[in-house]
Amino acid sequence: MNNYELTLILNPDLSSKFDEFQSKFDKTLSDIGFEVKKLENIGRRQLAYSILNHNKGHYAIYQLEGPAAGALELETKLKYDTSVIRHLLLKVDTLSLEDSMLMIEAQEAKKAPQEEIKVTPPKAKVSVEAKPEVTPAEESKTTESE
Amino acid sequence: MSQDTKKNFHYKNTDLLKRYITETGKIIPARVSNISASEQRKLTKAVKIARFLALLPYTDSHR
Repeated sequence: MNNYELTLILNPDLSSKFDEFQSKFDKTLSDIGFEVKKLENIGRRQLAYSILNHNKGHYAIYQLEGPAAGALELETKLKYDTSVIRHLLLKVDTLSLEDSMLMIEAQEAKKAPQEEIKVTPPKAKVSVEAKPEVTPAEESKTTESE
Repeated sequence: MSQDTKKNFHYKNTDLLKRYITETGKIIPARVSNISASEQRKLTKAVKIARFLALLPYTDSHR
């Protein structure tokens, strides 16, 4: 038995159907004798460069335990899976069962946009209601920032 | 400095890796960043994996 770390980049268009993919993928894993120790569903993320004309990808990191023969089979299966745009299977000494930095980043990013949405509407309202009053205030803001 | 704070060079730790690549995406040599040889080996491995997974760019001229 070996420990493996599998990183998948899935087609971002299928991001909403991740549960479907997961249940299917879990079956293929158990068929080849792999056991999922941890799954990190990181979600959509901007790619550093485009892969197959996709600019975003749905990341998922699996911590697995299984036989070496199964690893070969898994590689061929992933190669012909069209919903997986890139994959990396690494053999590791010890599985990292703590949350990775990517996961922590993704969780923080989820919280942040909500705050931004709260901030933007009042600004728009003010500019509509009282335009002449706002402009001097905005000017003073810009000078402060400079 | 680098001896008492061992850095966790791992491909998922992209924020740390970003500090050790140039604007054009090259890995900064150890003689410039002053990290130990063993750390530099871990760094290069991590950066190359992160590039493959599109977490870091290979160059600044990706179309």
